[in-house]
Amino acid sequence: MTPSPDALCRNCLLRVGRRGFMRTVNGEGCEFCCYGCCIAHQVKSGSGDASEAAWFLVRLGAGSFLSMNIMLFSLLMYSGAFIGADRRVLPTIHLLLWGLATPAVLILGQPFLHETWSQARRGRLTSAALIVLGSSAAYAYSTLAVFQGGGHLYFDTASMVLMLFTLGRYLEAAGRARASRDLAPLLAAESELATVLEGGQERRRPVREVRAGMLIRVRPGERIPIDGLIVEGRSHCDDSVITGESRQIAKAVGATVLAGSMNLDGPLLIRSSVSGDASRWAQICRSVREALRQSSRTQRIADRLVGAFVPIVLAMAGMTLVYWAQRQPLDQALLTALSVLVVACPCAVGLAAPMAHSLGIGQLARHGCVVRNPAALEALAGARLIAFDKTGTLTLGRPQLVDIASDGVAEEEVVARLAALERHSEHGLARAIAQAARARGLEAMAAEDVRVLPGRGLHGVVHGEAVAAGSAALMRELGWVLPPALLERAEVMAANGHSVVFVGWRENAPAGRVRAALSFDDTPLPEARAAVAALRGLGLQVMMLSGDHAGAAARVAATVGIDEWQAGLLPEAKREALDRYRARHGAVAMVGDGLNDGPGLAWADVGIAVGSGTDLARETADLVLPVDGLWLLPWVVGRARAVRSIILTNLAWAFGYNLVAVTCAVLGLLQPILAAAVMAGSSLLVVLNSLRLERLPGPCRPSVPELAAAVRRESAPGPTAQGQSPALELLKAES
Amino acid sequence: MTYYALLFVAGFAGSFHCIGMCGGFACALGPDRRGAGATSLRHVLYNTGRLSTYCFLGGLSGALGQVICSSVAPGSQRAAPAFSASLDVGQRALAVLAGLLMIFMALSFFGLRGAHRPSGFGGSTLVVSLRSLLGRHGFAAPLALGVLNGFLPCPLVYAMIAQAASTFDVLSGCLSMAAFGLGTFPAMLVMGGVGRLLAPSWRQRGVRLAGSFILALGLVTLSRGVMPMMAGHGLHHLWHVA
Repeated sequence: MTPSPDALCRNCLLRVGRRGFMRTVNGEGCEFCCYGCCIAHQVKSGSGDASEAAWFLVRLGAGSFLSMNIMLFSLLMYSGAFIGADRRVLPTIHLLLWGLATPAVLILGQPFLHETWSQARRGRLTSAALIVLGSSAAYAYSTLAVFQGGGHLYFDTASMVLMLFTLGRYLEAAGRARASRDLAPLLAAESELATVLEGGQERRRPVREVRAGMLIRVRPGERIPIDGLIVEGRSHCDDSVITGESRQIAKAVGATVLAGSMNLDGPLLIRSSVSGDASRWAQICRSVREALRQSSRTQRIADRLVGAFVPIVLAMAGMTLVYWAQRQPLDQALLTALSVLVVACPCAVGLAAPMAHSLGIGQLARHGCVVRNPAALEALAGARLIAFDKTGTLTLGRPQLVDIASDGVAEEEVVARLAALERHSEHGLARAIAQAARARGLEAMAAEDVRVLPGRGLHGVVHGEAVAAGSAALMRELGWVLPPALLERAEVMAANGHSVVFVGWRENAPAGRVRAALSFDDTPLPEARAAVAALRGLGLQVMMLSGDHAGAAARVAATVGIDEWQAGLLPEAKREALDRYRARHGAVAMVGDGLNDGPGLAWADVGIAVGSGTDLARETADLVLPVDGLWLLPWVVGRARAVRSIILTNLAWAFGYNLVAVTCAVLGLLQPILAAAVMAGSSLLVVLNSLRLERLPGPCRPSVPELAAAVRRESAPGPTAQGQSPALELLKAES
Repeated sequence: MTYYALLFVAGFAGSFHCIGMCGGFACALGPDRRGAGATSLRHVLYNTGRLSTYCFLGGLSGALGQVICSSVAPGSQRAAPAFSASLDVGQRALAVLAGLLMIFMALSFFGLRGAHRPSGFGGSTLVVSLRSLLGRHGFAAPLALGVLNGFLPCPLVYAMIAQAASTFDVLSGCLSMAAFGLGTFPAMLVMGGVGRLLAPSWRQRGVRLAGSFILALGLVTLSRGVMPMMAGHGLHHLWHVA
């Protein structure tokens, strides 16, 4: 049975790839990417008498017992224990060694033989073929030597090579399984069980069967499986999966809880508000699974190299054999060729990228950051320039009333009338006005006969008076008086980048009069400045591409500390700008809110959406940060770079090692057993190197006072202004 | 012979330490349904497995000692008197290293170092894996259990491996570990048969005794490296003198 190459290995959660195979464990069909994972999984999951795990270990133990004894006797022979008077026992010892080696080679070599055979039937050669060829050659040669007399015996080589490779693969797989520890709950989310309260009885049901309105019980220490409201109990929750921030939040009856957060210390009864598979947590999990199935360019190149490696090594071993056979006894030449076969096993090359990817993707996902595919991580690590959209990304995305210029009337009067009108509007400013009215403690007035004049404003009747709100064009259209002083002040407001609304009413006059100009503005996010500074500290060039007019863009850019910006860009112009920057700076990342700038995000090398409320599956961005997750961006960049540097060191090690080792082997400087030991150690080293990712610190949100302080410091002039933000120092320490 | 007897005794005393972890395995291996004979065979196989791992490790470390010494002084096997000085350098360095390692291990038995726990994913995974072997019937399983058990991280074994390496010979290294391993047989077999009958105070005393033996062995090994007059004479000679 062969699983699809995109399936994920049961043990290490990497793609099973072309070498994958199926095996039944505890009555369940499981996919595995390699023999090592198969053992490691069986050992982990095995229990009881009939488990295959035990059977594997028995074989491993028996094989080790045999090969250790072979090794011991061989060592004794090499050290000259059977010289002189003891010489006559040598034939017996040889026979004994053969007797030990035959079952050892069969037991330990069977899985490798099986892999070689099943791949060979599909016309592929894998590294297992090298091991099989090497050890069977050593075994066959030694067997001939035993029965025909004379010559050296290499039973120790045959069995120890197999044993060391088995051990190496097992340890490697155990290390990979450890790396996937954090990923496992993400992948299991869909099949996770929820305790549903039905008719007074508790039932365990898969989360995907949970519908809106069901009652779910969550015990302390459990993960909350669905989005919903608390109907009973109080507890602290950790929402880091959704918000990125690991923090205990006290929740009581009536509070909303989010799927994926941890219920820390109290039992909760929750009424679900959506179905189980519609929560953001479920979407993150699906997305992670999808991402793990993708492969990046680095990985594809590595895979192709590994594929080409085996025939090359075979050819090299053949040439080595031919060359040395002319200069040395055959057994010596055979041994040298064997070293070449064993030492050139390219396992570490194939492992260099996927493990680092899955660790990186898993860690980001635990903080609510979703990566579409491993290639996005690599592209982000390589990006030189990061472009921000303005509205909703660097700013709150919600305009607020910031100034009122009135023509001799009270502000309250203006706001009250306007609020009455705007209650009938769904325009973005309506909410800002309602908020302003609430803030001033104004009671809602009634408005009648309200008409929306698209693109211009509103017109209606409040307290029997005609009231209009909108642009200067609307006022002119109505023929209302617009005092020049007011117009002048409004022009100043507009030049500052604010949106301006004129308000006027008739009040006992034949023609209405404009009484006030209100300016609205979108406030920059408090954390934007620290994030921009931190990104710059990481060596990225930061810029802003805005569709808004120049005044607004300039002000926001100045507030968050961006020097380079372009304004008034239509989506098409944003794409052209990205192309220009790409030509000048190389890879470009674009950050947007995912709603208004979909084309830009898709066009950039890495599209990053912050706080997308839309369905993750329909999201075009490569990387999705949680709502209000802009502060995470520098950490994400740092993590992407860490992943890339781990991959590069892995590849450098794997290739450098293979180059040196193969050269030594070809020159006859390496014993096969030593070669096998170093080989097994090589892939283990790649695993351990990748596990370094686990030790990097998680993101830490700068608190609001710190942020304010950072903003103050950085807005103060001086050469040391940059680089003092706590977020920045944190990142420097991390990178 | 005295030397091996001493290692045997060290193993015997040290096996009170083994009861901590390996004894758990021996206990859990339990009796066989097919009667006392089968039970004994099960436990003998388990201990044989352990012994063979120890012998292998001993032989390997002896060979390693040999290789290191001969690489420091090439051609030392047929050493002319002129080379013996440089040969001594390699052997002595190794003896000092082994001696220090053993003293370090011995101190851990007196509680001067933190309690030892199997560490790293290699060790802990191995312990987890071994549990699945316990309940299995047949005679290959106890053997496999013993073999893998022998690889579990254990300060006592490390100290003995250091001792074996300082013999600079495959056979002596192998025999050293064999003597030590056989020394652990009685206690482990008893554990398999009667379970945890020994009082903790006895275990504590045994551990101290083992520590003293290892300390003494370590000091002697160290002195071989440090004291010039003893350097060339070899271990056997030393122990016969003692």
